[in-house]
Order: sequence, then C-alpha cells, then structure tokens
Amino acid sequence: MKSIIIGGGKIGSNLLKTLKERGYNVTLIEKNEEVCHKIANDIEADIICGDGTDLDVLNDAGIKNADLLAAVTGKDEENLVICQIAKKEFRIKKSIARVNNPKNIAMFKALNVDQTVCSTEVIANLIEYEFDRDICKIVQTFDRGAMVLMEIKINDNNCWLNCFIKDLKLPAECVVASIFRNGQSLYARGNTQIMLDDRVYMITNHATFIKIKNYLLGGGKPYVK
Amino acid sequence: MYITIVGCGRLGSMLAEDLSNNGYDIAIIDRYAKNLEILGSGFNGLRVKGVEFDNDVLIEAGIKHADYLIAATPFDNINITVALVAKKIFDVPRIIARINDPQKKRVYDSLSIDTINPTELSAYILKTRIEENLK
Repeated sequence: MKSIIIGGGKIGSNLLKTLKERGYNVTLIEKNEEVCHKIANDIEADIICGDGTDLDVLNDAGIKNADLLAAVTGKDEENLVICQIAKKEFRIKKSIARVNNPKNIAMFKALNVDQTVCSTEVIANLIEYEFDRDICKIVQTFDRGAMVLMEIKINDNNCWLNCFIKDLKLPAECVVASIFRNGQSLYARGNTQIMLDDRVYMITNHATFIKIKNYLLGGGKPYVK
Repeated sequence: MYITIVGCGRLGSMLAEDLSNNGYDIAIIDRYAKNLEILGSGFNGLRVKGVEFDNDVLIEAGIKHADYLIAATPFDNINITVALVAKKIFDVPRIIARINDPQKKRVYDSLSIDTINPTELSAYILKTRIEENLK
C-alpha cells in the first residue's frame, strides 16, 4: 500500500518509521530542509522537501497512486487544505488529518475530512484514564481480556469501605480473589470486612471490569445488569 | 450590506476603513490585537480578535448574516480554510479570497474559491504603464 505523510515533526517522523517497519511504501513531505536531513539520517525512506499544499509537490510524492494520505503538520489550516486538495484534485481514497486544537474537530468533520486524530484530546483522555486508574486498574490480562486480574484501592470515598464481602452486590462474572492489607495477602471469605487502604484483587473479564469500575466511579449507584 | 473581512493587515485594514467610510457595515477579524490597532479610532465597524476560522469567532463577527466575506490574510492556507468554512458551513453568498503566492491559484481554483491576485494585478499594471510610455 502506498501512503503519503505530510509534516515531519515528532508525529510525522514516528509514523514514517512505523509504517516503514510494517513494509508500507511511504513518502514523507516536509517543508524545512534541516528537518528533512535529520529524518533522512535516521530513517531510510523517500523524503521530499517541499510545501505539502503545493500540487506539484504532491504529484512528485506520487499522490496519484497513493491509497492513503496523512496530514500531520502542526497547523490545522494546513492539514485541512491538504486533505481538501487530496480529495478534490487527486480523489484520494482515504485521508487522515491531525487536528491540533480540539475546537477545530467539528470544522474538519463539517468539511468532510475522512478521519481526524486530535493528539491533544487523546493525551487528555489518557491522563483522565490515569486518574481513573487510581481507584481501580487492571493488573494482568489473560487471553486478550477473557480473564483479567483487577485491583481496587479502598480510599475514604469508596462505597465498599467497611463492607463485608458477603454483602457486596457483585456481577455474576467475578470473584474476590484476595485482599492485600499491611503488606499481607488475606484470602477473603464472606465475613472478611474491607478496611481503609486495602487493595482488593478480583478475577473477572474485561466487560465486567468496566461495569465494576463505572459502579465504583459512580459512588455505588446500583449496578445495572 | 454586511461585510466580514478576515485579516487586518495592510489590505484588510485599508479595505475595512474605506468601506466603513462609505456606509457599509463591517466586521474585521485578526488573531493579533496589534493588527487591529492599525485601524484608527475613526473606524466604527466591529473588531474581533481571534483565530480566523474558529466558529465562535466567525459568528461573533456576524458571518451568519454577512452578504460578503473577504479572506485577506497574508497566509493562503488560512484564506482557503476561512473561505471553505464560510461557503460550506455558513453559506455566505459571496466570498472572495486574496491569493498571496500566485502558484497557489490552482489550489483556490480546484476548491472553487473566487479570488483576486494582487501580485498578478500589480505586474499587469506595471507592464501596461511601461508599454504606455513606449507609445
């Protein structure tokens, strides 16, 4: 598959490396000559020094035979213009644009760009996910999520605090395996009480993990089957 | 007649002041406050500071009821983006963009954006003047 990347920043150059490793036929277009040389020293690939919104440069990069185009420069207006001409002038099958400012995502959609990736939003989501992980996280995944070992930290706000295992309203597809307290592993039975700073370990599957996580994040609102 | 001008450089500011003095309703957008200061205190149109193709900024500048949009920034990609947003999202009846790099004319044309080409115009005028002198 032939693909074209426009923009040789961190995203563009890493994308070039990854696609090359997977055996794709890739050409990179970058404006800055110095940046071009730097990438050329690192990665053995077709690199064109030029303006990605210039029709001749896109032609040189072989856009007529390309299946995929990724516009990943640091400027939203540039990425938009590239995707527009790739579509109108060259009828490319698929174009992907990087959106730097999440506010512009709606505009890209309204102007029919096939797909957008907003790194700012992705990173924000990842950080949010890290916050979630404070309460509960997956410690180990077996067989792509068919079975997972999850850990739940019991803090002041946790609705399980001071509950007995036998009173927990748990989905069918899970079992409390152990509680880690004061550096020791307890083998929890029905009459084991959950205490502050406990770490509760459960065996479940990925779908149920999400249900339990949402239940705990929601402060213990009844779990809906 | 309501006219939204995008880009308050030499061209944008001159046009805004001239049109405003002739009784047109003008809103002008630029991302730099400093550029908007080019307009004297006599300018009685609306000045909006913000990213030129941002939905909220364009709405603040009255794009929803604009009869004309002029994309006059010194950056072709911004002019193209603004023109596309004005045409496809806000349905502005008349849109004219300023071409900065004459080579980019093909891009404007391929996206069906109406343009003026100051470089070409200047060259043409200069050539005519020279030829006139030869007569």
